[in-house]
Amino acid sequence: MATITYEAATRFYPGSERPAVDGLEISIEDGEFLVLVGPSGCGKSTSLRMLAGLEDVDEGAIRIGDRDVTTLAPGRRDVAMVFQSYALYPHMNVAENMAFALEMAKMPKQERRRRVREAARILDLEPFLDRKPKSLSGGQRQRVAMGRAIVREPQAFLMDEPLSNLDAKLRVSTRSQIAALQKRLGVTTVYVTHDQVEAMTMGDRVAVLNEGVLQQCDSPRALYQRPANAFVAGFIGSPAMNIREFAVHDGHARIGDRDVEVSDELRAALADEGLDRVLLGFRPESVDLVGPSEGFTASVQLVEELGADAYLYCSIAGTDHAGDPDIVTRIDPARPPRVGETVHLRVRAGHEHAFSPVTGERLSS
Amino acid sequence: MSTTVTETADPSGSTAAGSDAAPARPRPELRSSRRKALAGSLANVSLAAYFAFSLIPIVFILALSLKSNADQTTTYLAFSPTFENYRTVLGIGDGGSSYVRFFLASLVTSVGAVLVSLAIGIPAAYAAARYRFRGSEDLLFTLLSFRFAPELAVIIPLSVIYQQLGLYDTFVGMIWVLQLVTMPLVVWILRSFFQDLPAELEEAALLDGYTRRQAFFKTVLPLVRPGIAAVSLLAFIFAWNNFIFPFTLTSSNAQTVTVSSLAFLGGNQVQFNLVAAGVVMAALPPLVLALFIQRYLVRGLSFGAVKS
Repeated sequence: MATITYEAATRFYPGSERPAVDGLEISIEDGEFLVLVGPSGCGKSTSLRMLAGLEDVDEGAIRIGDRDVTTLAPGRRDVAMVFQSYALYPHMNVAENMAFALEMAKMPKQERRRRVREAARILDLEPFLDRKPKSLSGGQRQRVAMGRAIVREPQAFLMDEPLSNLDAKLRVSTRSQIAALQKRLGVTTVYVTHDQVEAMTMGDRVAVLNEGVLQQCDSPRALYQRPANAFVAGFIGSPAMNIREFAVHDGHARIGDRDVEVSDELRAALADEGLDRVLLGFRPESVDLVGPSEGFTASVQLVEELGADAYLYCSIAGTDHAGDPDIVTRIDPARPPRVGETVHLRVRAGHEHAFSPVTGERLSS
Repeated sequence: MSTTVTETADPSGSTAAGSDAAPARPRPELRSSRRKALAGSLANVSLAAYFAFSLIPIVFILALSLKSNADQTTTYLAFSPTFENYRTVLGIGDGGSSYVRFFLASLVTSVGAVLVSLAIGIPAAYAAARYRFRGSEDLLFTLLSFRFAPELAVIIPLSVIYQQLGLYDTFVGMIWVLQLVTMPLVVWILRSFFQDLPAELEEAALLDGYTRRQAFFKTVLPLVRPGIAAVSLLAFIFAWNNFIFPFTLTSSNAQTVTVSSLAFLGGNQVQFNLVAAGVVMAALPPLVLALFIQRYLVRGLSFGAVKS
């Protein structure tokens, strides 16, 4: 178990001008569960593979504990990886798959067997130790891949979308099992996913990447409540945060048919930047249905009823992009308005996020 | 936590179709299954007929090889079989013949060509499957073009070159030219085998402590063994059956069995029965090899490694 440090780690793919991972700086605590998340092509898998040694580090360095592993061979980094496809050795049975790395490390046979037994017990794999991977179900294969990592008792677990080949239901249960297992073993873990729900539910901290650049690395709660920029704000949360650009005049932002006063702080920030427009974001749960005199007018385009919640997709009156839903709001599912109905909406005071329309960076505190 | 995924594939397909039809009539699925059975037996009969048809040349050659000189052009199946042709071809009781030598020459050159193309083709196929580099596709296509370019187009310059280099009628020369035939086969077929193996498998091996070389030799190579067996057999058959190269590039020393049978057609007598005996014996090595290698031809060893 160890800390992991990315020090301005950069990776250029051959023939590409733009780095796949650009100056990544993250310090991961001992025993921490860090999730790398982002849209496809954001460099999250590349970052993980750089840590594993499967991808070169072109600039910067990576440390595991106090060892600089930047140029070390993958097998000598003492990390175990769980692959998306599991990558089980098809010609070996479950026990052999799990013991393989231990054998390579010339561990005595008794210790090997003890560790495989123990991992099989933890993962409910005891009945399958003699089976070949092809006779296992997807969930079982996934657990063998986990077992293969566990038996090594490595410095760190690296997981590259290990749940994406499971069906939705199994994914949810396995998700909590992996998180619980990691807490119990206390092994530093770096976990890659494109699924922000996975990221939010599993990680101690979540690092959001986009186009090779780290956007924000923080606890799930902090990411949700104080996104550092418009990208993180839009990426984290489902349905996504409503983010629209609004003109600001005399300390008021014009939202549909109503002027909304902006805070003094935001007004000052806008003045500092010399901006007369602002990107305002508000989460679906921060928008309330109100009486006709209180909020801006919108017409309902779509109602999504999920049982516990319902979401209204509305277009704000007075905006030019008609037909395209402008705003999503979470409402009480008991009495949803009908499609086509006119409603009045108000953003809860203090729940809006303001970003620069130029840089996308957060303006309000 | 244990879960079992059972996937039941119904081979008969659409049995549920039309199950909501009126109950008075014969059930449609029954009718369709009867039709299916009829279609099945028709298919079997025609396959059997085709099988019999395709056996004709083999039976013909086998029969011919057992006929005496007098019988060879006069009868089809009514004759008294004799092994005299085989004795003559092999030179038994006659102080030996060159047939055995030609046969061995065929073996040496074919096996040699297969080994050379495996030694070079396996790494080439691996590289072609795993790495894309400038011109890699062109390179592969050029290699493939060796297969579809007519051999006759190169035979004259090749024989001149061989004469000048002293490769004419040598084993080295024959192996060299035959691996031109077999190498593209090895590279193209094995490439798809390597492509089917996920790169993650090697990466897992790297993380488990293998070096790149070990990961290749101990993880990848064992998994493509069925492919290597299949392609070796194919390459051997192609090399063994090749006629034009030994015909033009050898005279006696490295001449192969495919060419040597021609000797029975020259001179005063045209002895098809002797040719047939030679051909039957020449067909044995690929046949034996195919039977021996058959179990390796079954793919599927690598299935289950990953969920596709």
